[in-house]
Amino acid sequence: MRKPSRRTLFLGFSVLLGLLLSGCASNAELDTLKPKGPVSREINTLSNWVFIAGGVVLLTIFVAVIYIAIKFHAGKPDNDEFPEQIHGNSTLEIGWTILPAMIMAVIAVGTLITHFAVNSTEANAMEIQVDGAPQNWEPTVVVVGQQWWWEYRYYLSDNITAADLKGVSAKDLPPADIVTSGQMIVPSGEEIELIITSRDVIHSHWIPALNGKRDAVPGRYSPWKIQADNPGVYFGQCTEFCGLSHARMRMQVVAVDNHDFQVWINNQMRPAAVPAGAEALVAAYRNDESATLPDNASAAARGAEAFISNCTSCHLINGVNDLSYTGANQVSGAAPNLTHLASRTTFAGAVLNLYNADGSLNRDDLSAWLRDPAALKDNASTDPIPRGMPNLGLSENTISDLVAYLSTLGPKPSMQQIHDTQVN
Amino acid sequence: MATAVAPAVLDESHEEHRTATGMSNTKLAMWIFLGSECLLFGGLISSYLLYKTRSNGTAVPTDVFDIPFTSVSSFVLLMSSMTMVLALSALRRGDERLSRVWTITTAMLGGVFIGGQVYEFTTFLREGVGFTTNPASSAFFTLTGFHGAHVAIGITMLMSTFVMSSKGKLHQKQSETLEIVGLYWHFVDVVWIVLFTVVYLVPA
Amino acid sequence: MAIVEKPLSLDAADVVVANRPLGVLTRPKGGNGWRDWLSTVDHKKIGVMYGVTAMFFFVVGGSEALLIRSQLAVPNGRVLSADVYNQVYTMHGLTMIFLFVMPLAAAFANYLIPLQIGARDVAFPRLNALTYWIFLGGAIFLNSTWLVGGGGADCGWFCYSPNSGVIFSPSHGVDFYAIGLIILGIASLVSAVNLITTVINMRAPGMTWFRVPVFTWMMLVTQFLLLFALPVITVALFFLMFDRLFGSQFFNPDTGADPLLWQHLFWIFGHPEVYIVVLPAFGIFSEIIPTFSRKPLFGYSFVVFSGIAIGFMGWGVWAHHMFVSGIGPVSVAAFSLSTMFIAVPTGVKILNWIATMWGGKIWYATPMLFSVGAVTMFTIGGISGVTEALAPVDSQQTDTYYIVAHFHYVMFGGGVMGLLGACYFWWPKVFGHMLNERIGKVHFWLVLIGMNLTFGPMHILGLQGMSRRIDTYSAGFGFALWNAVATIGAFTIAFSLLVFFFNIWKSKKDATHLPKPGPDPWDARSLEWMLQSPTPEHNFDVVPEINGLDEWWHRKYGYDDDGKVIRIATVEEAAQKGDAINPHLPSPSFWPIVVATGLPLIGYGLIFNLWLAVPGGLAVAGGLYAWALEPTDDPDGPHGGHHDDHGDDQPVVVGAESNEES
Repeated sequence: MRKPSRRTLFLGFSVLLGLLLSGCASNAELDTLKPKGPVSREINTLSNWVFIAGGVVLLTIFVAVIYIAIKFHAGKPDNDEFPEQIHGNSTLEIGWTILPAMIMAVIAVGTLITHFAVNSTEANAMEIQVDGAPQNWEPTVVVVGQQWWWEYRYYLSDNITAADLKGVSAKDLPPADIVTSGQMIVPSGEEIELIITSRDVIHSHWIPALNGKRDAVPGRYSPWKIQADNPGVYFGQCTEFCGLSHARMRMQVVAVDNHDFQVWINNQMRPAAVPAGAEALVAAYRNDESATLPDNASAAARGAEAFISNCTSCHLINGVNDLSYTGANQVSGAAPNLTHLASRTTFAGAVLNLYNADGSLNRDDLSAWLRDPAALKDNASTDPIPRGMPNLGLSENTISDLVAYLSTLGPKPSMQQIHDTQVN
Repeated sequence: MATAVAPAVLDESHEEHRTATGMSNTKLAMWIFLGSECLLFGGLISSYLLYKTRSNGTAVPTDVFDIPFTSVSSFVLLMSSMTMVLALSALRRGDERLSRVWTITTAMLGGVFIGGQVYEFTTFLREGVGFTTNPASSAFFTLTGFHGAHVAIGITMLMSTFVMSSKGKLHQKQSETLEIVGLYWHFVDVVWIVLFTVVYLVPA
Repeated sequence: MAIVEKPLSLDAADVVVANRPLGVLTRPKGGNGWRDWLSTVDHKKIGVMYGVTAMFFFVVGGSEALLIRSQLAVPNGRVLSADVYNQVYTMHGLTMIFLFVMPLAAAFANYLIPLQIGARDVAFPRLNALTYWIFLGGAIFLNSTWLVGGGGADCGWFCYSPNSGVIFSPSHGVDFYAIGLIILGIASLVSAVNLITTVINMRAPGMTWFRVPVFTWMMLVTQFLLLFALPVITVALFFLMFDRLFGSQFFNPDTGADPLLWQHLFWIFGHPEVYIVVLPAFGIFSEIIPTFSRKPLFGYSFVVFSGIAIGFMGWGVWAHHMFVSGIGPVSVAAFSLSTMFIAVPTGVKILNWIATMWGGKIWYATPMLFSVGAVTMFTIGGISGVTEALAPVDSQQTDTYYIVAHFHYVMFGGGVMGLLGACYFWWPKVFGHMLNERIGKVHFWLVLIGMNLTFGPMHILGLQGMSRRIDTYSAGFGFALWNAVATIGAFTIAFSLLVFFFNIWKSKKDATHLPKPGPDPWDARSLEWMLQSPTPEHNFDVVPEINGLDEWWHRKYGYDDDGKVIRIATVEEAAQKGDAINPHLPSPSFWPIVVATGLPLIGYGLIFNLWLAVPGGLAVAGGLYAWALEPTDDPDGPHGGHHDDHGDDQPVVVGAESNEES
């Protein structure tokens, strides 16, 4: 190839490099280069330096190759003219063995400093009220992965650690004060320790704006941490291949200020509201007795009845079936806790909006989900032991009753939160 | 398993030829193959060590070991290495009949060891430690089972050389064939010594 | 030159056994029909069969890649269902690694190693045939899961437990994965034993270790990596198979198992595997770049030692695949450091290749274009690899498309482009005609542009946070643009492959009216170019005595008093004529293919019905015994005149000079 081709090659790379840089500037929700907390910022600083160092080395080598390729270009040999036959140069070679080793040594020092900083935790207990009593709470969330959604468990009354859980099956975790899924609510500005595990296969918990990943391994309780500078919503995605709906196993961290966090705790600690007209029915169910709804019961009350007869073999609502609940008929033994479903803004592993952007209930998706979950998100609910929500063959009337009931499991989050957490 | 290939290459070792190292191809190949086998047993033994107490409350192999019994069968296997040496030295001296005697003795000692292993396995199974009981038992049976399979292949190779010799096709000048079978046999014995020490003797 | 014959020492009994009629399995006599290909033990024919099979699976794996890229071309793609997508991406990885790159490298290893070290064949020609047939059987077995196993494996090529368990992957795909890889592993292991023995034992007289061509050196390191890595993955695969088929508890966390056991065993194999894929290409660059720069390789010993260093250090870095698995910060730090420093020997090689070009008279024939392109592409992959070695940075990058970009630059940019260059370089040696240079250059630029379009954007996607192994993504993530570009790139690569096939077809057609390339069309340096093209069936008329590195070049050129290179012999004078009379060759045999047929049968038996394993076991055992009883050389073979029973390992016709060592 003649010179123009080499030049084309060079131009091609320049264009590629330009595109690469411009590409990083786009508005990706999972962007790894836009840290929003001190841990991810620390990682980003390290990665910036190594990208610069790597870029310089790469550029040097490319310039050298292109220069040499052009300068010493001779075409097909048509004679016995040979260049000087050089077999090597020990000094040079030792030099370029030591040089990269020294560059690496410098990078290694920076890496180790960052690595141990990222893996350390600080004692940052905060004052919270639990059932009106003050608690010194070291912010910690137990993160449990299962196909294909995340559960977040808050032990507010005792400062649980990974060591406490050693040997405990993730299918048999101690009861938590608050159990939610898909959205982790955390106080902003605080370091949140995560204890990550799984109930079935390996998953990986990743909120790029706040920190790197940590795998959720069944039988292990891996420590990790996140911290958000400011209140806001930070998107995440399961990043260890976990089967059919791996792509649709997402999550969000919603960081709120300390006041809002306390309000959230207060709301979550309450049992679910029982719709008017269903009180007797629910009370009877809790006592293992039977009762019937009045004829003029509201849709929400009928929905509570439908929940009791269709959903309680998997789902838990505190104040309804918490006395009789023994776990879900699932491989993981778990299904999302629905006590305050409507206080969240997403469902089905954070892939569907519970509220529309205008703040109204997303009745369409919720109904479609109850009609045939697998149509919206692939699952293995027809396996002998299901994985994922099965199609229960609910009638349209039952579906609309259930939607009415589920929408009462609030309180409804703020418009700001609904807006910021919209997924598509 | 690739081990089974070994008898097939035996006939390629009849003669000494010029090689870059002076060692015949077949013998060198066996050494290389045994190097690979080290990693196979290394992987199996490491896995067992990781798993030996993992049972979620059910009985693990260390609970049911009968050390005296296994010591005896280990001794039997160890003795077979000695008879293997005798078989080879007899063939090298040209005493084909004596070599056959020692060869069949080696195979029989190996057979006794396998018999002991079968007895041990069935006893463990009766005592509630089966292949599918827990990770510790799965790792134990797989490790010792793989070793047992190696011994069985070794016995097959020994019997094959015995038959060859009986038919008059294994003479002094082909003693390398027996030597290579012997290499394999000694390796399998050494693996057992490691395995017996690590699995049976080192406390849990 | 004397013709030395080995003494006749075949026992009469052996001859009787060999002549016993065996129906269709009567010992074949050689020739050129299909039966000859089935029974050949010629390392060159076996090499060609490896190559053809590998290219076939390149098309298969490439089609799978196109399906993946079609699915991801736009947000919320629905070309494939999630289930099928998972199967396709798993089989893409398995096919490309185990059925394309490794066997294509094996093709060159088989063909070239005996030629580069001056041997008549490999140490065990029949074992060599056996490894090919086992490989082919394993490849067919692994892919037959599409038809009989209820779909491909859907657990990724890494197949992490417990997601690979029966509960989470109920089809037979993972069973085929486990048994298929065991079978392929047996093939590679036997091949490794054979090739290591060949290189250690069968070097021509005078070929000391520091006169061994770099390609052979790198292949030797590769074979050692295979030798020690394969048993580890075999252990893991047996565990997986036992769990799935016989209910053992290796990977069931509910009974106390640790899922990380699989990861450790897998990556102790899996990381050396990376070097298994890329070291052959390092060897290829080290042959091609000096040839087309008209200079010796700069720093031969540094290149060789850095290859060996990579081989050793490759064992101490496996857990960098597990930085986020939760193995503890101290382990992570240790593996992070070891991984950073493996960049050093790799960097040394790159600089040595560049220094080889410096001051040269560079001829950009297609093989050289591919090699220079591959070195630069590999450099990109190497540097992105360094960023991943930094554990904290990796916690953001791992399991994203950044990793996909990285290893495709290494394996496709470095490995595959290197191997494609090797096809152009050695084509005349294998087939006796050149590949068309003009089309070759079009091919090169299409590959280079295509791969940068495909894998370059994946760096950005990864940094934007696109996870690996997702079958779909939302529009809101901002991944659409670069995925579209990558898909265009993938189809460009596919088109380049069609150009390559067209080149093969056209070059063969044109060969009839073009001048023959002769033994040494590139003015190259190593021994294979001393032989006629295509290589005569018996390789060397007389085994050459080796006096130095780049022996063949030194037979053509010397230095005058001023140290200037002068020609001392023409190619015609220095090359061997390929006219040896009665060259002794190992005889063909049907037993390798019989033995190889048994293994997949045992596999099907384990999965479906144990009775099926009986004929399989009989084929293996019976085949091995028939093989052992069959003398290495057929007394009625086609090269009559004399027969003897020296092993497969010795050429009968050796140069007189070889006697000094015998």
